[in-house]
Amino acid sequence: MVIVPILCALFLNLLHKKDRAIKAVTIILALALPALPLLANYGFHYFGGYEPLLQNPTLSSNLPSFITGGVLSTFHPAITYSFQSAQQLFVFILGLVGLLALFTSVYETRRPSGVYAYMLFMGIAAMTAILLTDDIFNLYVFFEIAALATVGIVLVSNIKGNYETALKYMILGSVAAPLLLLGIALLLGVTGNVNITDIIYSLKTGMVDPQNPVLLMACGLIVFGWLYGSGLPPFHTIKSAIYSKALPSGSAMIQAFSVFTFIALGIVILRIFSYLPLSQWVILGVSLLAMILGITMAIVQTDIKRMIGFLAVGELGYIGIGLGLGTAFGITAGLFQAVNEVMITALLFIGFGVVLYQTGVSDTRKLGGLMFRNPGVALLVLLGGFAMAGVPPLNAFQSKLMLIQASIDAGFPELGVIMILLSIVTFMTFMKAFHTVYLRPKPADLEIKTETIPKATVISIVVLLVVCIIFGLFPHYVTSYLQPLATSLAGGVA
Amino acid sequence: MDVQLGSLLTAVALIVIGIFATAFLDNLIKKIIGLAFIGDGANLFLIAMGYKPGGIVYIYLPGMAADWFAQNAAYPLPFALVLTSIVIGASTMAVMLGIIIVLYKKKGSLSAAKVLGE
Repeated sequence: MVIVPILCALFLNLLHKKDRAIKAVTIILALALPALPLLANYGFHYFGGYEPLLQNPTLSSNLPSFITGGVLSTFHPAITYSFQSAQQLFVFILGLVGLLALFTSVYETRRPSGVYAYMLFMGIAAMTAILLTDDIFNLYVFFEIAALATVGIVLVSNIKGNYETALKYMILGSVAAPLLLLGIALLLGVTGNVNITDIIYSLKTGMVDPQNPVLLMACGLIVFGWLYGSGLPPFHTIKSAIYSKALPSGSAMIQAFSVFTFIALGIVILRIFSYLPLSQWVILGVSLLAMILGITMAIVQTDIKRMIGFLAVGELGYIGIGLGLGTAFGITAGLFQAVNEVMITALLFIGFGVVLYQTGVSDTRKLGGLMFRNPGVALLVLLGGFAMAGVPPLNAFQSKLMLIQASIDAGFPELGVIMILLSIVTFMTFMKAFHTVYLRPKPADLEIKTETIPKATVISIVVLLVVCIIFGLFPHYVTSYLQPLATSLAGGVA
Repeated sequence: MDVQLGSLLTAVALIVIGIFATAFLDNLIKKIIGLAFIGDGANLFLIAMGYKPGGIVYIYLPGMAADWFAQNAAYPLPFALVLTSIVIGASTMAVMLGIIIVLYKKKGSLSAAKVLGE
């Protein structure tokens, strides 16, 4: 699941400037992305085949007893990847959004770029590794690769101001990533491990004093990396700027990277530091701030992509509330919201991308009257907006309802009230943008291209919407994939 | 001074200097040098974690007793991690410098205030 996208990326990079070959090969290779997690078996993968000594009697028999007889035999000597039902769902959704983004990009661009497809594939590979890995340093490595892929997508998109935004993002990233590494170094210094399961084992069995202040500092530094990686405040403005400087398909992928980084690092923080009550409060506080800042800042945006970017930041807050509540039901709801948000935001980026494709304008003040040009696409985008706001029977309605129930169950009914109010604001923000772009009279100076919208774009929007409707109608089927992970996390928190 | 403590203090100094340079210097190249300081500080911090007073290089040679080797060898994991981290840092730096070259050609300045509009 990680190696295949990397190989695809390298292969596509070789096809630079061979437009037709790139188009065909990209589509064929992208089909593997959602298929791979469905074909793979659940379990653990140990790089180099080095499982813990306890599970490898052949190797153990040749080693001295002071290694095999003690706690060392339970530790993981190799980088470990864990693939369970929740990871299967996450990687499938990532692959599906990746497939549709690649599909859209090769048909929307006149000269498909092998480098652009390379960046998308590399980002998907990095994100898959982040979701699967049980090794915190490996997570850091792929965190950096995902950041580089994000910058690459923005640079290749060739939108005015992209270099400046990419540099700002990289400068901030070059401060945040070493601080994340420093947090990992502190964890390594205290526990002697970078494997997350082993770190937790060391803390729970008393091999390491959990109240060691160095661990608190490590937690703070990892949280800082988490804020940067997922675009939470104070990084929400640069993140939404990054969304606005990429092609719609690229923005759809970058937001998926942000959401999956958010949940992957959020899960790591919950797993390792759940014994610190402060960690839960930090997650809740940051999520609440993201929700309020993201959604309120979306209201005043005049750039469509920037508006969706801020709404996406706000939606991250909902996921964080679920994780921060710490109950099995709350975490399930948060993870379900993450899956839904990835699809809905991708739908909106690709859907509003049609406006950009036809007019070359993303400023809502200069747009209007597009309803009669493309009533079908407008209807699909409208349904996407309804999904984001949590209108029944769409998927985010189910996850937001679960989140509100979970917050009441956990003794935080005020969070439920805030979530309902912010959903209404999301709906109003979206409807305002929809009215401006589609319903009001067309400005006289707005030029609309006569060429038809690529079928690939419409197919991508329809597929995402169908999945949103299916998830909305059968939420229990989706949450059954997430419950085992949520239960184990909640067990750790309790 | 203890070698490990000295390394940790140097790492902290590098990070503080780097953050200062990134935040307060206007020249983009100087900002990048500041970022390199932060990365190097984090790497030095990580490698100092593997230091063992009086330890030996973690290469198991024929004739060594396993118990003696396990007790005296330095911890190898941080060294492997730092190697990876250096590669990542170099790639990030290369991309940033590449962007700065493009921006310099477009705007004719290396001032962050002029180029990035801050």
